[in-house]
Amino acid sequence: MKQFKLNHLFIVLAFVAILASCHKDKTTPTPDKPTAQRAGIYILNQGGIGKNNSTLTYYDYSSKTLTADQYVAANTSKLGDTGNDLGIYGSQMFIVLNNSNVITVVNAKTAKLKKQITLNQPRSVVFYKKNAFVTSYSGTVSVIDTASLTITKTITVGSDPEQMVIANGKLYVANSGGLDLTPATTVSVIDLTTLAETKKITVIADPISVTADAYDNVYVLSLGNFVDVNAGLTIIDAKTDAVKSKPTVSLGYNIPIYVQGDFVYFPTADNKIAVYNAKTQTLSAANFITDATTLAVPFAISGDPLTGEIFVTDAIDYSSAGTLYAFDKTGKKEYSITTGTNPGKIVLLDK
Amino acid sequence: MKKTISLIINYPGLLPGCLAILFCSLLPIHLFAQSDTIKNIKEVRVTSSVMPAAQGVIPSQTISSADFIHYNAFNIADAVRNFSGVIIKDYGGVGGLKTVSVRGLSANHTSILYDGVQINDAENGQVDLSKLTLNNVQQITLYNAQPPTLLQTARAYASASVLSIETIKPHLEASKPYLITAGIKGGSFGLVNPYLQWQQRLNNDWSFIINTYTQNANGNYKYQLDDGASSTQQTRVGTGVAIQQIDGALYWNTTDNKFNLHINYYNSDRGLPGAVRLYTPPPIGQKLYNRDLFVQSGFEHDWHNSLKLLVNAKFSQNQLHYFDPQFPNSVGFLDQHFSQREYYQSTALVYHIKPNWEVSYSADLSVNNMNADLANFRYPTRITLLNVIATNLTFSDWTLQGSLLNTNINETVKTGVTVPNRNVYSPTLMATIKPFNDKNFQLRGFYKYIFRLPTFNDQYYNFISNLNLKPEFTHQYDLGFSYSKSLQGLFDYITLTTDAYYNNVTNKLVFIPTVNYGYTQNFGKVDIKGLDVGVKTQVKLAAYRLSLSANYTYQQALNVTDPASNTYLNQLPYTPKNIVALNAGVSRGQVSIYYNQVLSSSRYYDNDNVDADYMPSYAVSDASVVYKTIIKHFPVILSAEINNLFNKSYVVVQSYPMPGRSLRFSFQITI
Repeated sequence: MKQFKLNHLFIVLAFVAILASCHKDKTTPTPDKPTAQRAGIYILNQGGIGKNNSTLTYYDYSSKTLTADQYVAANTSKLGDTGNDLGIYGSQMFIVLNNSNVITVVNAKTAKLKKQITLNQPRSVVFYKKNAFVTSYSGTVSVIDTASLTITKTITVGSDPEQMVIANGKLYVANSGGLDLTPATTVSVIDLTTLAETKKITVIADPISVTADAYDNVYVLSLGNFVDVNAGLTIIDAKTDAVKSKPTVSLGYNIPIYVQGDFVYFPTADNKIAVYNAKTQTLSAANFITDATTLAVPFAISGDPLTGEIFVTDAIDYSSAGTLYAFDKTGKKEYSITTGTNPGKIVLLDK
Repeated sequence: MKKTISLIINYPGLLPGCLAILFCSLLPIHLFAQSDTIKNIKEVRVTSSVMPAAQGVIPSQTISSADFIHYNAFNIADAVRNFSGVIIKDYGGVGGLKTVSVRGLSANHTSILYDGVQINDAENGQVDLSKLTLNNVQQITLYNAQPPTLLQTARAYASASVLSIETIKPHLEASKPYLITAGIKGGSFGLVNPYLQWQQRLNNDWSFIINTYTQNANGNYKYQLDDGASSTQQTRVGTGVAIQQIDGALYWNTTDNKFNLHINYYNSDRGLPGAVRLYTPPPIGQKLYNRDLFVQSGFEHDWHNSLKLLVNAKFSQNQLHYFDPQFPNSVGFLDQHFSQREYYQSTALVYHIKPNWEVSYSADLSVNNMNADLANFRYPTRITLLNVIATNLTFSDWTLQGSLLNTNINETVKTGVTVPNRNVYSPTLMATIKPFNDKNFQLRGFYKYIFRLPTFNDQYYNFISNLNLKPEFTHQYDLGFSYSKSLQGLFDYITLTTDAYYNNVTNKLVFIPTVNYGYTQNFGKVDIKGLDVGVKTQVKLAAYRLSLSANYTYQQALNVTDPASNTYLNQLPYTPKNIVALNAGVSRGQVSIYYNQVLSSSRYYDNDNVDADYMPSYAVSDASVVYKTIIKHFPVILSAEINNLFNKSYVVVQSYPMPGRSLRFSFQITI
């Protein structure tokens, strides 16, 4: 990241991307049995950096229609540059557009624009008690009142904060420091009552993704420092806020992590989806996928706890349309959907 | 080989005072100081009845200094943009980066020769053509494959195509031993660009030329930003430039010997704003500082007994400083320094076995290293040894040329691991034949196998360094014809060239930018089928002289990496299938008017060929008027140029808007 800008200047000149990967299965989604309460599924596509081509794919379960960009369909105008995160809270959906420096708040069901909130380099969003919490590369977490849609408080955390998770009544923020010469190595703990940072927990360098299970374990995936620290997993006990373990797992450089029930899903260095058992704290499967489906670049993982399905997106070559795969709970592919470029977030919409 | 190297190293000792030791900058080279007016005028007279050379062994396209104004050319990129087979990538504005790619191959496959010696960039592999101005340039030629001469450096054989820049050489008489040209250009973007050229004859054998210029501009321009629903006008700011360059060359010419020593220093501060993004204020404050120095020297000896020798040496040092005041790290800015050096020696020997049969041997040794103030930087050093044998057979109706290049590369790093040594053989074969009684018609064809190495950036400079990268290999096949005829009467001449080609690329090196980091991969295969067509003529009609040229480029550049992929058989990003470039001029007496038109068909900026990645076609027109006169026996040229005559809003690179209509005026006097 440090020299990313420079790369951009020069090398990017050369990126005529050609790519690889194998799936020509076009979109013929036949979702098994989406439960009655689900309306459809949103996929936020980052697009390319500086290309202003972030899009919002929507697949409607009842009409079985796929809309390549629901935001443009609803608003005509484009979403913006590098949509990094998306979250639904009540009737509203918050779309975090990193390089456009805005949080675009829309009606969750229609994607109709309600308000754009300006925030420098926003990254991720979570919700708690009528507040949205948004990390910013300014080294802060902004608290946004979901009723007034204004920033009511800004909490200073570490450098380049990325993802957040709420566990045991506290907010855990991954401070990546990913744009600094030396990555950061902490997770900030924020008291959700006082809205103040109470602690910094040391984890593996360059933490990016966080999630939590039902047993008050917080899982932190880090990229490492690209020199002598490899990408790794740190597990924090949210009861004591101490590091519980750093299990040795295989990790690549795309590191979404997702918990569903007793299982934690994350991609491995060879682009499989590993499953870690939250209850026994052991690796339970080297690859969740049990059929012939292969992934080139696993980019986002989510699921539907009601059906046990797991969704995984594939960014393929970072420069063309991606794919969303839906797997049943046994790891067999149910269907796939063509997404936009770099599908980075999957969120279910309820009716 | 050893013998050759020692020869190279010892040689300078034979030339007291003229040691071929060089400082050199990789990039910039040029000088402002346009060629002298007298020469231009002469050339116009001469070239008006001399047709352009179209019948080379290899497809080539040339533009000379007298024609730069026809194309409103301000830098090298502008001058070559009408060439067939060429795609210029332009980030817009006075200081915007410009690179040239030829026949569907990436810009790294085109090497830039400056008086026969390559401007090399081991760090990026691409030379920013906006840094090359035209004031000291006599002629620019684009060769597909390689230049057809044998007396040249081994590096001239080592790329898929060659853009060869020849500088102005003094040719003065004792009766008037000096020639001074001074001028100034100015206009839109706040451009102020004074330049000076001093040519001096010292005696029968010795002469020198000095060129210098400064160029300042605020660079600001208006553009339209479209969010899909509405379009708003914004101003591109922070694109200012402050550039100074000085270039001096010393020449010694006798019947048997030619020697030159060339020194060049380039200093630029350029505003280089990033991509324009929706919903956020335009980027501002990103700056690129270049401090480039090079010294290059060449010596040529002809024994007149069928043996010729060419020795070249070069030293270059390029310093690059990038500053981004909006970088979202914890200090709030990005401040990086990079420097690279090159030490280079080349020797070539050509022997005429028979008058129509030449053989040659060229050997180049270069050492490149790089520093950067990045954490855990590996400080790579690359030693490259090139050996070429080549031969050329000429008969009345056909020629045959072949070369074999051996590339041997050794890389070391101060910390960490490096790449394995490489040793690659790459052949080229070319032939021409005149099959008919009409000798104006010639068929030609070539095959070339060549590669480009991963750059230092590709290998060492990214977060995830990729030491397993393989070179990107290309096979080029070309078949074409040329017809060129001098005519009496209305037309002075007509030339027509057409080449069809097939290029195949494997292990294509692709940079993958991601939000937090980027890296390069060998990502695939490309099949490129193309057609280059060029026609040129000149008409005399009463007191009017009309010139007309048209170039057409067809490129089908398909991703053939993986038949199972959704992007299989898709056109490569940023590769228009059709480009038409037209140029017309009319002159009468002292006044000339020129019009240039470039039409590019639509393109895609990503690997999908779908609406979401679509970039519409564009047509850009330029016009100029030139007035030549004599003021107190001093030739004077006045010109006015309009770029983007119809004020079209367009982009070449996604999110980098191009300027609308702009003006440039110039005044030049020769003493």
